[in-house]
Amino acid sequence: MLLTLDLNDPRPLHEQVAAAIRRAIGAGDVAPGDRLPPARDLARALGVNANTVLRSLRDLRDEGLLEFRRGRGVSVLRRPDGREALRTRVRDLLDEAARYGLTTEDVVALVEELGRNLDDGAGSDPGKEMA
Amino acid sequence: MTQPHQISPAAFRTRFVLLTIAWAVLVAAVLVAVPPVYAPRLPDPLATHWGPSGRPNGSMPFAVFVLLLVVVWVVVAGIGIGIAARGRTPVRRAARTWFCAGQAWAGGLLLGLQALTIAANLDRDHWTRAADLGWWVVPAIAGAFVLGALGWLAGRPGPDVAPLVPEKEPVIDLDPGKRQVWVSTTTARWAAWLAYVALAAAVPVAWAALSGRMPGGWHAVVPLVVVGVVGLALSSVSVRVVPEALTVSIGPLRWPLRKVRLDRVERAWVEERYPAQVGGWGYRGLPGRATIMIRGGECLVIRYTSGGQLGISIDDAATGAALINALVARRHA
Repeated sequence: MLLTLDLNDPRPLHEQVAAAIRRAIGAGDVAPGDRLPPARDLARALGVNANTVLRSLRDLRDEGLLEFRRGRGVSVLRRPDGREALRTRVRDLLDEAARYGLTTEDVVALVEELGRNLDDGAGSDPGKEMA
Repeated sequence: MTQPHQISPAAFRTRFVLLTIAWAVLVAAVLVAVPPVYAPRLPDPLATHWGPSGRPNGSMPFAVFVLLLVVVWVVVAGIGIGIAARGRTPVRRAARTWFCAGQAWAGGLLLGLQALTIAANLDRDHWTRAADLGWWVVPAIAGAFVLGALGWLAGRPGPDVAPLVPEKEPVIDLDPGKRQVWVSTTTARWAAWLAYVALAAAVPVAWAALSGRMPGGWHAVVPLVVVGVVGLALSSVSVRVVPEALTVSIGPLRWPLRKVRLDRVERAWVEERYPAQVGGWGYRGLPGRATIMIRGGECLVIRYTSGGQLGISIDDAATGAALINALVARRHA
């Protein structure tokens, strides 16, 4: 499973880890029914404490994305729905915008502008997200 | 197996299975049919075990001896037929030659054992007066190896379905300012079960040996524990790729582990490798040409800048290879 952590993300670490896992599920890196690597393997790869990963996994379970099964580890229950998936990507977008010195308002303006163009029938490439 | 060029792998498999069954039936027929012929001239029980001095020191009732060899053969041949019918062995030459060698060798060894035992007991009135084995053992064992070698040759003709050709090495886009890592874990359930069964069996045997109920029990405990530990080590492999290094670790303790700094890696790709190709399970081959094999199929292969290779049987290897290639490329950029 490919996981991406943002080095400049100010959010708490467990939220970043949850976002990374959510992104990987959303990108189809792991499909519903697949098992996630054990928490300690994820923790070592991400360079965080195993308890941090466990907390993220519990959060994702509470969101209904993951399922904990006794003796069988953690498996993916479903993919995040559109709103959840977009939330993660919008978050990434805002982070990237901040790196270019754009504020949230600038991004909103940009989105509205593009939205108006779309309403005129001009499609844009939805783009396959590379997590 | 006379016209290997025009035959499809599926048709070849059918023929291969039939030949495997024919060999199984032939050996079984000899194992069953020959002893009754000599039964009137044999003592019962038979001498079936000889000490280092060459004198017989163990016996078995005639019927048990005949049955034991047949049962062993049924198990060996049964597993063989199962592999021939379902596995990829029949269509891969390297695997097939060793498979045929193994089946021929096992059949030959059992036939040799039977012939040796009957010959040594022939016309003796009691098993303790059976003949010394002496040098007879040598041709019996050598015969099995000759049969094995013939089996190996017999397995050569036929199709050799190539493993998936390594495609162009995969790469992914790296995002600056982000830390991308890849984790994958692959488990071999059969190895884990084998280990648990062996360890579970070792405990009561060790207890019986300690309490004096089974004085020779320790001789069983040691191999059971070895099987348990080796089985656990082979039960899972975990690979993680971080921007600095690739780490492979095995077993439930994730130890031992092997860490390879990415500046020592030239590139990575995916290859199909099978235990029969690399010589079994575990760490196979010499350093620089090794494979960490816990199950056949998709393997992540890395090439060192020094020229050697390391293969690891792991799921989702393509993503891992893509990340490694991207990280290596960025290092050089």
